[in-house]
Amino acid sequence: MSTIRLKGGRVYDPANGVDGETRDIGMRDGRIVALHPREEADHEYDVSGCVVMAGGIDLHTHIGGGKVNLARMMLPEDHRANRARDSLLELASNGCCTPGTLETGYRYAQMGYTAAFEPAMLAANARHAHMEMGDTPILDHGAYVMLGNEELFLEMLARGEDFERIRDYVGWSIDASKAMGVKVVNPGGISAFKFNQRKLDVDENHVHWQVTPRHVVHTLARALTELGVPHPLHIHASNLGVAGNIESTLATIDALDGLPGHLTHIQFHSYGKEGPKKFSSATRQLIEKVKAAPNVSIDVGQIIFGQTVTASGDTMRQFANADLGSPRKYVGGDIECDAGCGVVPFRYREQSYVNALQWAIGLEIFLLMDDPWRVVLTTDHPNGGPFTSYPHLIRLLMDKSFRDEQLARLHPDVAASVDLREIGRELSLYEIAIMTRAAPARLLGLADRGQLGVGAAADIAVYREDADREAMFATPEYVFKDGRLVARQGRLEAVPVGGTHFLETEFDPGIEKTIEQYAQRHLSVSYRNAKIGNDELCSCANGGALLACKVHGRRGGK
Amino acid sequence: MNATTQTQNPDSSGSSGQDWTCPFCSLLCDGFRVESQQGGLKLVGSDCSKAVQGLASFGPVPSAPSATVDGREVSPDAALDAAAERLAASRMPLFGGLATDVAGMRQLVRLANQRGAILDHARGDTLMPVLRTLQDRGQMFSTLAEIRNRADLVVCIGTDAASNFPEFLRRCAPVEGAAFARRTVFVGASAPAGLQGEVDEVAPHGDLFDAVAMLGALIDGRRLPAADAALEGLAQAMRASTYCVVVFEPGRLPAQGTLITEAVLRIVMSLNRKTRAGAFMLGGADGLQTANAVTTWMSGLPLRSRVGPLGLDHDPVQYASERLLQEGAVDLLLWVASLGPKPEPPATALPRIVLGHPALAADCAAAGTVFIQVATPGINADGHLFRADGVVTLPLRALRDDGLPTVAGVAKALEVRLAVRRLATEDRP
Ligand code: SF4
Ligand SMILES: [Zn+2]
Ligand SMILES: [Zn+2]
Repeated sequence: MSTIRLKGGRVYDPANGVDGETRDIGMRDGRIVALHPREEADHEYDVSGCVVMAGGIDLHTHIGGGKVNLARMMLPEDHRANRARDSLLELASNGCCTPGTLETGYRYAQMGYTAAFEPAMLAANARHAHMEMGDTPILDHGAYVMLGNEELFLEMLARGEDFERIRDYVGWSIDASKAMGVKVVNPGGISAFKFNQRKLDVDENHVHWQVTPRHVVHTLARALTELGVPHPLHIHASNLGVAGNIESTLATIDALDGLPGHLTHIQFHSYGKEGPKKFSSATRQLIEKVKAAPNVSIDVGQIIFGQTVTASGDTMRQFANADLGSPRKYVGGDIECDAGCGVVPFRYREQSYVNALQWAIGLEIFLLMDDPWRVVLTTDHPNGGPFTSYPHLIRLLMDKSFRDEQLARLHPDVAASVDLREIGRELSLYEIAIMTRAAPARLLGLADRGQLGVGAAADIAVYREDADREAMFATPEYVFKDGRLVARQGRLEAVPVGGTHFLETEFDPGIEKTIEQYAQRHLSVSYRNAKIGNDELCSCANGGALLACKVHGRRGGK
Repeated sequence: MNATTQTQNPDSSGSSGQDWTCPFCSLLCDGFRVESQQGGLKLVGSDCSKAVQGLASFGPVPSAPSATVDGREVSPDAALDAAAERLAASRMPLFGGLATDVAGMRQLVRLANQRGAILDHARGDTLMPVLRTLQDRGQMFSTLAEIRNRADLVVCIGTDAASNFPEFLRRCAPVEGAAFARRTVFVGASAPAGLQGEVDEVAPHGDLFDAVAMLGALIDGRRLPAADAALEGLAQAMRASTYCVVVFEPGRLPAQGTLITEAVLRIVMSLNRKTRAGAFMLGGADGLQTANAVTTWMSGLPLRSRVGPLGLDHDPVQYASERLLQEGAVDLLLWVASLGPKPEPPATALPRIVLGHPALAADCAAAGTVFIQVATPGINADGHLFRADGVVTLPLRALRDDGLPTVAGVAKALEVRLAVRRLATEDRP
C-alpha cells in the first residue's frame, strides 16, 4: 500500500468549497486519503508554489467513433508533422484536430485531464466508439448514445406509443450501447434529411413522421428523468450555425418544460440576425434565459482561430455547410435508420466577420453567465477547435489584457462593436476549477471524480503558478491518474488503460420484443448483436476498468 | 470455448452457431447458422458460395496446430523465438496481408511500433483509389439498412454486386410491404439471376470511365451531342428517384480507379442538391476495412504508413507491398492471413514470418520462413470485424476450440520477446 503526499500546494477543490487554501493531499491505493501529518509517505512531492486541482474532465469532445476516424483518413495533412516522442512509452500517433487515439490520450493527460466523454455515439457504431476510447490511453471515458433520430423512436412517437414503452426503449438503448447518457442531435432533423427535408424548426413537423423537435426533446428529457439518468439530456439543438437560431434555442429550452437539459456547444446556437450582415450576437438573450432556467446547463463550444475539422451527426446542417469547407471536401453518410454523420474541414479566420463574432460570442457566454456550475469549458473538440487549445482559452478567460490583444486582431467591425469589449470580468482559478472539473463531474453524476475530498479517486493535476495562465495550464508539474504518476512536466511517466463509465438502467425487458421485431423487419444486423454485453465491452475497451453506475428509476414522478 | 453459443437457444436443436457471424466477406452476415457435422462445418440458411467455400477450408477435425521454422516442425515457443530473432534483426520490416480482426490489428500496430514497420494490406491497391478520393474530395455513403428501407433505385457500376458479395442484394432488398418499388440497374455489368423488382442492364459504348463521366454530365443537366440514350434515361431516373444508391466495387475497378471513384462521388454530391442519394462501396474484404480503421485510429494515418520510434510516415504509392518487395526496400515480410486460406503470402527471397490459416503451411515450408498457424475469428476464435460500410462492427464467435493462438496472442508474444531483447541490450555496459 504505497502512500503519496503532495505537500504545501494551494488547493482548488470547489466541490468541497476549498478555494486556494494551502494544504497537503494524501493518496493511497488510487484514492485520496487523510494522511496524518506525522505519517511518513512512501513518496512525497513538494508542491509549494503550485496549484492543486482534481484531474480535468471534458464532458464533450469527439474522441472516438466513425466520424472521427473518417476525419482522420480524410485529413492526412493534419498528421504529417511528426512531434518527437519524448518518452519511450509513447507509440507513433499524430494529428492536431483529429489526433490518433493514442495521441489524444497522451495530450489530454499531459494537460492535466483525466477523463473525456464522446458525446455522439451512434448505437450502430457503438462498438467502434468504445474501441477507439479503449485505445485512448490514461483517460477514463464514456459516451452518450444519440437518440431522437432513429426511425423506431420516431415511429413510436408518431403512433402515439405509451410513454412508458418509450422510456423502456430509451433505457434499453443506454444499456445496449453501454452509454453514460443520451445526446439528441438536431432532434428529428437527421432523419428528416433522409426524407429530403432541408430545415426543421422546433415546432415544424418532420415531413414523414409528422412529429416535432419539441416533442422529441421533451419525450427524451422526461424519459431520462424517470430512468434516473444523472446526466441531463445532452441537446444539440435545431438549426446549428444558422443566423437567428437563438429562436430555436430558446424554444428548445421551453420544450424541456423545467426538466433537466444540457445544451451543448451553445455558442453555435446563439446567433441573432441583426446588423448589416444579418448575423449578430444573441448572447444577452441566451444568458437571460439560462439564468432564469435552473434546470439548464450548457457547455460553450468556443471557437479557436486556425485550421480544424467539424464532425457531427447533424447531416442536415453539415451538408448545408459543405461548400464552406476548407480545404473543400465533404464526408457525409446516412446510417442504419439510426442517424448519420457529416464531416467538413474548416478554418476559422480572425478576419472573417462571422468567425470573429462566433469567437466573441463564446467568450461572452463564459463571462456573462453568473453560475459557473452550469457552464462547462469546451471547444466541442474538434468542431470549434482542438482540445489542445484549452490552456489558451483559459488564459482568454482569466486575463482581460490578453483578451483585448486578441480582440484587436479581429475583423474591425466586430472588434469595434462587440459587448465583449466592455466585459471586465476575469475568471478566478476557483471558477476555472469548477468549469473544467467540478461542474462536469457533477453534471455527469460522477460522485468520486472532479473533487479532492477523502475517498475520491486520486485523479490530480498539479500546476506550477505562472502569471501566464496558458503556460501554466499547458504543462502541469505532475499529473496523477488513480494515484499513479502519469505525467511530469509534460513527459509521460506511465500509460495505463483508462476505464469506461457507463450506466446500468432499469427497464421492462418486454420492450425487447418490439425492438427485435423492428430489427428483423428493417435493420441489417441481427437483434442478438444489437446489445453489447459487459464482457464484450471489456474487450472493445481494451481491458480497462468497467466503471458501471447503476441508476434507479423514479417511474411516474418528477 | 467449444459451443458456448449452443446453450443460448434451446430451439436450435443442438446445432452450433446460432449467433454466427460470417467472416468470409465484409458483409459479415449474422443471420445464418453453421452446423457442426461429421463431414465438417455446414452453412444453414444461405447458399452463399463464398461462405460454403470458406467453411470447407476448415477440416472436420482441427489439423494439429503447427509451427515451422525453415520447414522444420517446431514447438510454438521455438517458432516465436525464431520469429522474434528475425524481426529484431530487421531494419525495415513490412507487415503485409493484415487479414485479421480488431484485436489482432491493435496488437500488430504495437508490434510495428517496436520495429518501425510499414503497414499495408493484401488489398491495399483497392483501398488507395477510395482513400485518394476521400482525401481529395470526400465521400457520401449509405449503409445496408438505409438501402433496404429507402432506396427506390440502386445503380451498380461495373459490378454484378453478387459474385464477390453473394448476399448483398438479398440483404438490402426492400422490406416486405415497403412503400416503394425497387429498381436495380447494372451499368457495364450483367445482372445476377433471380433478382426481385425491376432489373435493367445498361451496356455503354466505350469504357466504364467514359460511361460514368457521361452519366455525371447528364445528371448535372449538361447537354451532350452524342449522349448514350440508355445513360440519358438512367440519369433522368436517378434525378427522379427519392433515394438513389450508387454501388461500386473497388476490387473490380480498372487501372484508373480513382477517376471512377471521384466521378461516382461527384454524381452523388450532385444528386443530393435536389434529392437524396448515397454511394455504397462493396469493398473491405479480407479484413481490409478493419486493418485500415484500427491503423487510422491508433496512429492518425491510414494504411501504407510506417509507424515507429521516428514517428509516422504515410505514402500511398511508395508503401505498396508489391513495390516494396520488388524494389528490395524492405528486409523482412511479416504476413498475416487469419480469415481464410487467402491471401497467400507473396514469394520473396526475404525472410518471412507468416501467421496464417493451416492451408498456407505447405507454401510456407521453405527456408527463410517462420510459419505459425493461427485461429480464424468466427471459426475457432472470437473477434470483431468491420463491415464494408465501415460503420458497423460485429462480434464473431468461435464455433469450436482448435487450440490455436490468435493473431493478437502471437503479436503480443512477439512484442514481449522484442521488449525483453531490447532491455537486455540496453543493460549491457
Ligand atoms: S455474403 Fe459474405 S458474409 Fe454473407 S455469408 Fe456470404 S461470404 Fe459470408
Ligand atoms: Zn453536437
Ligand atoms: Zn460536439
